[in-house]
Amino acid sequence: MTNAATGAPEPREISNEKIFDAPRELVWNAWTDPEHIKQWWGPIGFTTTTKHFDFQPGGQWLHTMHGPDGTDYPNEITYKVIEKPSRIEYEHGNCPLFYTTVIFEDLGDKTRLSMRMLFRSQEERDDTAEKYGAIEGLEQTLGRLEEFLASNS
Amino acid sequence: MQTTNDKLSSTFSALADPTRRAILARLTSGEASVSELAKPMKMTMPAVTKHLKVLQRAGLIRQERRAQWRPCYLVAAPLKEASDWVDQYRKFWEESLNRLEDYLKVLQAQKVSESVSKKSKRKKKDD
Repeated sequence: MTNAATGAPEPREISNEKIFDAPRELVWNAWTDPEHIKQWWGPIGFTTTTKHFDFQPGGQWLHTMHGPDGTDYPNEITYKVIEKPSRIEYEHGNCPLFYTTVIFEDLGDKTRLSMRMLFRSQEERDDTAEKYGAIEGLEQTLGRLEEFLASNS
Repeated sequence: MQTTNDKLSSTFSALADPTRRAILARLTSGEASVSELAKPMKMTMPAVTKHLKVLQRAGLIRQERRAQWRPCYLVAAPLKEASDWVDQYRKFWEESLNRLEDYLKVLQAQKVSESVSKKSKRKKKDD
């Protein structure tokens, strides 16, 4: 999602796009089978243990990520929308909360994966109008704060 | 990754309002009184005070009592934490998608070798 006028990414979200040299069906499977997911989920050095995996709208994926330093991070993902083989939407975390949309686009032998992670505060979660923009706010403020942070933190 | 907590959530909630962001932006250039903050926003003092309370509860600003003068000033640490959290999330996805790319290569290679062995088996049968 980009701003039409500037071409810059919408600042209230984190987005990511990558083209994989694999057919869409395979990329979809890698996202939707816990045996596959554990092979790649998380930053380098992390491993993932799945406790519960229910891949359907409203279903949950409960898993623990094990950090390289031995710290465990319990995680809860709730699937909201599943449109095989092109779209997954899920919620992650509780406070704050990220709403993630993953789009799988068929490019023949390749697949374009687009992700959009939208931050939602608890109040925004309760309020369907998307009028907040905490990440945008954070980054705008941080832009101006850079020097301030350097001298005060 | 769930390294999040209530503190982080209150930082994000506090930032989720343009007036409060404007107040923070104003405070980056130095401390200011409530009336100084209210003036450019064309807001009443009570309205600004309400926002200041949210910012104060989130630990993003502090207000000092100095005789007649009660300046507000910015506290950087919670913003830094929130920014680190967002960076961490970005890193999470960059690295995960790189790992996915490598994993897909492995799966593709397995598929190719499976179909080759199937073909050669079939060939043997045919022979």
